[in-house]
Amino acid sequence: MKLVRLAIAGLTACSGCQLTLLNCEAELPDVLQRFELVYFPMAQSGGRREGPFDAALVEGAVSTPADLDMLFSLRNASRLLVAYGTCAAFGGVAAMNNGQSQRQELLQTVYGSQPSLPESFAPAPFGNFVSVDWTIRGCPPEKEEVVELLAALLAGTLPPVRSYPVCTECRSRENLCLLMEKGELCLGPVIQGGCNARCPATGIVCEGCRGPVREANVAQELELLLERGFGREEIERRMNRFKPGWDYGQRR
Amino acid sequence: MEKSFLEATQLSSFLEKLRLFGELHGPTVTDAGVATFAPIAAPSQLRINYRRTQIPPKKYLLPFREQLLSYRDGRYAEPAETQPPIVLFALHPCDLAGIAYLDLVFLGDNTDPGYAARRARLTLVGISCEPDDFCFCSAPDSAANCDAFLTAVKSGYLFSAVTARGEAIAAAAADLFSTTEVPQPVAAQHPGTGVAPQGPELRFSDNPLWQKFADTCVSCGACSVCCPTCYCFDVREYPALDGGGVRIREWDNCFFATHGEVAGANFRPTRLDRLRYRFLHKYCGFTPLQGITSCVGCGRCKAVCPVGIDLRELFSAARGEMSP
Repeated sequence: MKLVRLAIAGLTACSGCQLTLLNCEAELPDVLQRFELVYFPMAQSGGRREGPFDAALVEGAVSTPADLDMLFSLRNASRLLVAYGTCAAFGGVAAMNNGQSQRQELLQTVYGSQPSLPESFAPAPFGNFVSVDWTIRGCPPEKEEVVELLAALLAGTLPPVRSYPVCTECRSRENLCLLMEKGELCLGPVIQGGCNARCPATGIVCEGCRGPVREANVAQELELLLERGFGREEIERRMNRFKPGWDYGQRR
Repeated sequence: MEKSFLEATQLSSFLEKLRLFGELHGPTVTDAGVATFAPIAAPSQLRINYRRTQIPPKKYLLPFREQLLSYRDGRYAEPAETQPPIVLFALHPCDLAGIAYLDLVFLGDNTDPGYAARRARLTLVGISCEPDDFCFCSAPDSAANCDAFLTAVKSGYLFSAVTARGEAIAAAAADLFSTTEVPQPVAAQHPGTGVAPQGPELRFSDNPLWQKFADTCVSCGACSVCCPTCYCFDVREYPALDGGGVRIREWDNCFFATHGEVAGANFRPTRLDRLRYRFLHKYCGFTPLQGITSCVGCGRCKAVCPVGIDLRELFSAARGEMSP
């Protein structure tokens, strides 16, 4: 059997998405039997970034020239490029302050006033630079969705798409609605489900780590949060935590 | 229809008798405070005076997500049904009417084998209820579509057996019943518990509320998830790493873009289209259930909507004609 050739890498990120794959302990033997992990520097030394790859799973936001080099090289060497996780798909936590922070000030805060500062720019999602064939959402992603993708690759396809908001799974699990019953700032209505309402099930509001659901009624979510007494600034700060640049006028 | 009087003090003993017919489930409350149908291990868990559960009893017949089959090496297998017989106790007439509607859908010309198997294992015991502000039920004391029904009266319940299984419950619990001077309530003969069917042309009315609802609906899907008669489902296949795979069925929702989506287009591209479609299905019905309303008046859709939408406000052609 011909092994499916994979590259798994990270740009500006915490490596949590790659770790999610390594945490799929029950499935790893099957994965190793059917995939060739050609390039996976986080998990194995001696890998080569030499294509062609059947798929590249890449996590992280793009925020340095080295990130861009890696992204272009993996894009060019791979049949399928997978934006692996919310940073890759939307910018993620690294991008939450893109709207207000000054790059130069940030660099000086971190590196001090040394003469040559490393080159970097505002963290951005893959879609700003290259075409993306598949997206796994979440911070971190659900193991199930990672395994789903790998299994689909073996079958020569991509997994079926989920396009319902967090509320759908949350209500179906018979959780307490934190938005309505507790008056908390929950982003469930506008955030993509598939996590089985992991956070609300434990009494924590949806923080929006999976990014916007298709045709999210952002304008109405904003309105109903304002009506419940939250300030515009707080709402935007929470909305931006995993994805900057929402269109607050969007109703579909 | 035989009736017997069950004193409230005998309720716990009555529950023990019900256990003879299957695992006892009834209204209770989760740790987080959500009303739910769940196994009743001890009578103290039962919330017999509940208003409505978040998820209706349809979850016993059509689970949120279920595996239809698994496949491997060119063969497929259906999962073995493992659900034990269940006695669902203290269902309100609206939820009983909801199950009656689902029966029409899933036990009609094309019987759904999974639904039929689960339905056959359910014993339904209804109870009368006191409507609250969200309810718009027209028959809170009707005993339709159940095996047995309890009508709450002062100091106890009037028991009526409706089916042969109900008679068997009556026989098993015979020593708990007493004769009583309590007059039996007149059983109203209602065609259903919900609102009357509406004309299908109403879904194209120029009522300005349509656009207002289309703008404010957040498409969270809660109204449909929590509706006792919403049964739309999606079927998807997921390959597995070992070369096999599974086919699953999951609740779908007419508020989602994908619901009306086909290759290259969408039958209902906008939220307004989806609202009109929902109105048609809920209040007008379509083939083969045309003219049958699937709204049973439980009030869940209104209770769970984060923006307070009530589709019944669309029952008039235009806002000016609405009755107060």
